[in-house]
Amino acid sequence: MTLSEKIQQLKTHKVYGRYYGVGLLVMLAFLFWAFFKILTPDNFGSWEALSYYLQYSIIYSVGACGVYFIVTMGLFDFSIGANVVLSSIVGVILSKTFGYPGLIIGCVITGIIIGILNGFIYVKLKIPSMIVTVGLMLIYESLAYFVAKGEKQSLASDLRGLGVAPGNIIVSAIMFVLAYLILKYTKMGTYAHAIGSNENMAKNMGVNINKYKVLGFVTQHFFVGVMAILAVSYGTSMTAVTEMSSMARNFTPLMGCFFGVAFRKYCSPIVAIVIGEFIISIIFNGFVALGAPTTIQNLITGAALLIIVALTLRSVKGTVVK
Amino acid sequence: MDDIILRAENICKSFGITKAVKNVSMSFRRGEIRGLIGENGSGKSTFCSMLCGIHTVDSGRFILDGEELKINSLVEANRKGISIIVQEMGTLPGLTVAENIFLGNEDRFIKCGIKNTAAMNQEADRLLEKYGFRHIRGNSMIDNYTFEDRKLVEIVRATYFDPKILVIDETTTALSQNGREELYKIMKRFREEGRTVIFISHDLSEVIEYTDTISVLRDGELIDTVDSDKVNEDDLKRLMVGRELKGRYYRTDYGEPVSDDVVLSVEGLTVPGEFEDVSFKLHKGEILGIGGLSDCGMHELGKAIFGASENRRDTVALADGTRINSICDAIKHNIAYTSKDRDNESVILNETIRNNICLPSLDKLAERGILRHKKLDRFAGKYADMIHVKMTGINQFVSSLSGGNKQKVVLARWLGRDFDIIVLDSPTRGIDVKVKADIYTLMYELKKKGKSIILISEEIQELMGMSDRILIMKDGIINGEILRSPDLSEEDFIAKMV
Repeated sequence: MTLSEKIQQLKTHKVYGRYYGVGLLVMLAFLFWAFFKILTPDNFGSWEALSYYLQYSIIYSVGACGVYFIVTMGLFDFSIGANVVLSSIVGVILSKTFGYPGLIIGCVITGIIIGILNGFIYVKLKIPSMIVTVGLMLIYESLAYFVAKGEKQSLASDLRGLGVAPGNIIVSAIMFVLAYLILKYTKMGTYAHAIGSNENMAKNMGVNINKYKVLGFVTQHFFVGVMAILAVSYGTSMTAVTEMSSMARNFTPLMGCFFGVAFRKYCSPIVAIVIGEFIISIIFNGFVALGAPTTIQNLITGAALLIIVALTLRSVKGTVVK
Repeated sequence: MDDIILRAENICKSFGITKAVKNVSMSFRRGEIRGLIGENGSGKSTFCSMLCGIHTVDSGRFILDGEELKINSLVEANRKGISIIVQEMGTLPGLTVAENIFLGNEDRFIKCGIKNTAAMNQEADRLLEKYGFRHIRGNSMIDNYTFEDRKLVEIVRATYFDPKILVIDETTTALSQNGREELYKIMKRFREEGRTVIFISHDLSEVIEYTDTISVLRDGELIDTVDSDKVNEDDLKRLMVGRELKGRYYRTDYGEPVSDDVVLSVEGLTVPGEFEDVSFKLHKGEILGIGGLSDCGMHELGKAIFGASENRRDTVALADGTRINSICDAIKHNIAYTSKDRDNESVILNETIRNNICLPSLDKLAERGILRHKKLDRFAGKYADMIHVKMTGINQFVSSLSGGNKQKVVLARWLGRDFDIIVLDSPTRGIDVKVKADIYTLMYELKKKGKSIILISEEIQELMGMSDRILIMKDGIINGEILRSPDLSEEDFIAKMV
């Protein structure tokens, strides 16, 4: 039996087949950890360090869970990073008066408003989502600058509980469970896949496409709003940026989302997102431990993503891939 | 209770300047199976799509059970007791079987916004069991199933809630014989339960056999409604076309010798999992038929000959020994191909007739790398006219053409390339009798000009009527060869196919 045939047998095994996806991801995480651990045993990969890598990764995992809804529908949203910046700044400003409630409500409500705006403008103007969200990103960046009056916004030291364990883990776990429940147990989950699969047919089946696309944007930005809470709590401050600099914050949650999409056949996409982001965090921190420059880190992280997704997706020969 | 369940009164529908349905009035009885036939573009699918809420009615009305029908979507139609099984693929990849069955109707499984997935899967399994489709599971992804199994899921979706009216829109062409039998059983059950079926099909023998009455549409108008047991195929063809169309529209020549010149040689051709060790020779001016059951491997063989299979083994070669290893090789050496999956593999729906026809000929149409539109228009217009494509103009989008005219566009494209060999896979699938006759005439003319044709078909009559020689495939291998003869019968084929 060839290796390919053995893998196929494993995938379809009645017992082990269910754990194929998770098993593969855990194995990849271990392999990357082992690789860097061998290269730099003193600087990398202790239990404490792994806990740190995980806490770093779950910030983006929360955002990636939201992004999954939009990507599944076949849409793009380049305003994720701008949401993080604007929501964080609003949250920090409100926290100065209202403490934790201000932080949480400020971030979440800002995220939801951004989601409503993105969705509404997209369905009304009927312009491709990529273009709509790039335009809105510029607006949100500018708004963040005005709201922050050009100043760095720092979170008070007694309000940083959600940036460390167990606060960040509890919040993240709640969001992961919520994402899982929405995907599996609500119409939103079914319709997101239906719209992404064949929008015309879904429409003919009575799915209100525009409504669920707007809901998709709202759901995504709700999760990104929570990601903003975790990000600013972890980083302790946020500075407004302009000239599309916020786009740099789009890519890590997007990469995690791709893990979810690639592994959907084998396991819950939420599980794949969480482990996928952890793998990215291991790679990133591994290169930091090695002292590699940032450009090399980004190059290797991007390459690792391409390799992992290409190996795991393995489209049938001759299928159209766009 | 009134025997009439549905009345259509003066139904009209236009798409732009095209009047698709003109003042159609019909009545349907309870427990009736009504056949609805007509040429491509006659308005039968448009009529049914208005009934099912897919299109709006411009004027006129439907009266269902004494009440005027006002619906704007398929889901609303379902709620009123009307359902449709569409011609093309009607399930969504990426969803489970249960999700596909209940799509748009999940509310019965939802409480406080939460979907009871387990209950939905259980109900799907119960329905699949009831229909006898035990090999399909509700919690499995639909992607894991074949095209035919997905059609069976569609049948469950369209019928599980016992609609008063079921529309079957040219579904049988997508099913194997087993699948068709399941569908016929459902139709008969509907009739016994006093429900109504509207059955659209181009297979006139099937329509005559399984319906009670047949309505004929032509150019958007109702021509007549007849009793199925009082007509034959020729009568129906005459009503459809508006003139006498002889029952035999295949070739009538027998005994003509085929040239000894071999133009294509296939040796030991294999695509693992599809077919194995196929060898044959194609001669100049020959129509070589390849037939069998739908999953015998013949469709994949057609692709492999054209170089469109990824893991093909062994050879396809021209007379001079040139190997055909890819689609580019095939086209470069004047081999053409029309796929069974017309809409996805043969035409670009969102492109004009002109661009579709010119596409493989752009290299010879370009002048120093520049394409001149007038030249493309002339080129495409010439071949579209040669083959009588029914169109408003060369810049009409292919998506708005009927199935038969789409097929003509495909053939026009290859005529423009002046092919020597063409592989025609199910060229008359889903096409009305008049266009079929046109295609058969074209095939014979091409044969006379020395072009060689490989005709792959699931229709035995078509193979018998058009081929010089027929190879029968079974389970991926060649199981027999039959020469053209007026004494051939279907039994000769079936013995080797099954």
